[in-house]
Amino acid sequence: MSTPSQNDPYFIDFKNRVTQIQDAMASENIDVYLGSRLRTISWISDAFCPWRSYVVIPAAGDPTVFTFVIDAARVTDDSWLDEDHVLGYAPMGGMDQITLISEFIKDDLGVTKGRIGIENGMSNYLPEGNLTHYEYEAFKAALSEAELVNAHQIIDRLSLIKDEGTINRFREASRIVDVGHKALKEALLDGGWKGMSETEIAGIAALAMRRSGSEWEWSFTGGNEIASGYRTGLAGGACTPASRRLLKEGEPLMVDIHAMFKLGLGDHSHNYFIGKATERQRWHAENFVDIVSLTLKSYKSGVSPSSLAEQMMDFAEERGFADYMVPGFEHGIGMMGDEWRIGMNDGPFAYWTNPDHTYHSGELLICAMQYACPAEDIGFRYENPILIKENKCEPLSKFPLKIEEIY
Amino acid sequence: MTEKVGYLSPQWRDEAEKRLKAEITPEKMNYLTTSVSYNYTNCPDGVDKYLYFKCVNGQFAEVGVDSGEPPKTEFRITGSYDIFSQVTQGKIKAQKALMTGKLKLKGNMVKALKLASLADRINKVLVTIPTNY
Repeated sequence: MSTPSQNDPYFIDFKNRVTQIQDAMASENIDVYLGSRLRTISWISDAFCPWRSYVVIPAAGDPTVFTFVIDAARVTDDSWLDEDHVLGYAPMGGMDQITLISEFIKDDLGVTKGRIGIENGMSNYLPEGNLTHYEYEAFKAALSEAELVNAHQIIDRLSLIKDEGTINRFREASRIVDVGHKALKEALLDGGWKGMSETEIAGIAALAMRRSGSEWEWSFTGGNEIASGYRTGLAGGACTPASRRLLKEGEPLMVDIHAMFKLGLGDHSHNYFIGKATERQRWHAENFVDIVSLTLKSYKSGVSPSSLAEQMMDFAEERGFADYMVPGFEHGIGMMGDEWRIGMNDGPFAYWTNPDHTYHSGELLICAMQYACPAEDIGFRYENPILIKENKCEPLSKFPLKIEEIY
Repeated sequence: MTEKVGYLSPQWRDEAEKRLKAEITPEKMNYLTTSVSYNYTNCPDGVDKYLYFKCVNGQFAEVGVDSGEPPKTEFRITGSYDIFSQVTQGKIKAQKALMTGKLKLKGNMVKALKLASLADRINKVLVTIPTNY
């Protein structure tokens, strides 16, 4: 059980979070909240739960996390919750997840009737963790007198504006990512790149970040994403798990690395040319650096994804490179498991970012931009967590923005 | 003792307590403080029963057999008389009965994992009691 001090820069007031949830539950007449999404588990337990997990939040008092028994003791060790509030499920009589949780709700919390909030929906993000159809039906049968209602909006709303402890965790994760980029650049220089594969590059960055305290290269897109040569320019290609491809002179190299610090996420991309770039390659690179610079200057409170995209695509059109820009400039981010969708589920397409979502101070997102010219086997990526402020944004990763030639 | 006693009878309880206290030292029980009730359904006389153990610092403080509502315990295992009697006779392992859903556990599974080997030690003693099932 972890008990950080309030003076710790990474302190998060989890008790207060739970109280806020319980207040929202009361106002929506929800007696018990049964969370299953990874983002919900992280946000409440402060522990990484890689196995299917659930959190049961009563109307008052501490929540209880249910996870696979082989990991329950470790989750307890990492979480602020004690061993009586992190329970393991297992394939044994009375211990399977449906029986254990439903009997906990009925016998321990005394809730047999009433409304139970669940998390239902869909996501393009694989580990989102909405209740499956089977789980829903099984809980519905086991809690037959209760009504299961979709309630994820409570967590989505409360987790939107980040507190200082969360922001500091993201700052530290970004500092670690910068250490990874620095170590990798040093490894590439002076011919170090020769004979190097994308997977080796991913590993060099990972080692440096782990040495600096990163817990893992958290992204489900393959950890550290590395692309060289034609792989940098795959159409719309903003997902490139490292391959065994070797670096070649005259080609671009994209390095998109990830670090995790106390469930805060670092995610920053940097781009290179291996050897001297051609004039045409430099033209592409300048386009990309300029649009990233302008994008970072434009993010602030009051902006929306669609207004920013329009402004940036107009700029790209004026400069003659709109054909190469993927017309999206961000994705959502939060504590581990909270990725992709920004804001509430209130857009024209269910469970996708509302393009008219208005950013407010205290929101975190990943400024994410992809430039791709498949015909010329060239592309670049920029990702960086940014903190929205009143009249600007704060890019958390500080590695200098440029596209460098490596010899 | 060679004369057989009835399973879950007062005589069986006395013998169980005597043997458990004599044969399982606090060290063998890892100086544990815990309590568990085995709740028997479908008993031959039609009355649900329970077998109850309470350990304090590894010593058997209470061994009880009764009918009705069992006392509050850290762990509660529920199953039919038939299954429990097979476990006590050593015909099936408690763990297998749990894993096949023939017995049902209530309590903190993580803590229960630490007790799995202790439950086997208790059973090895109970199996030695000459018993009519």
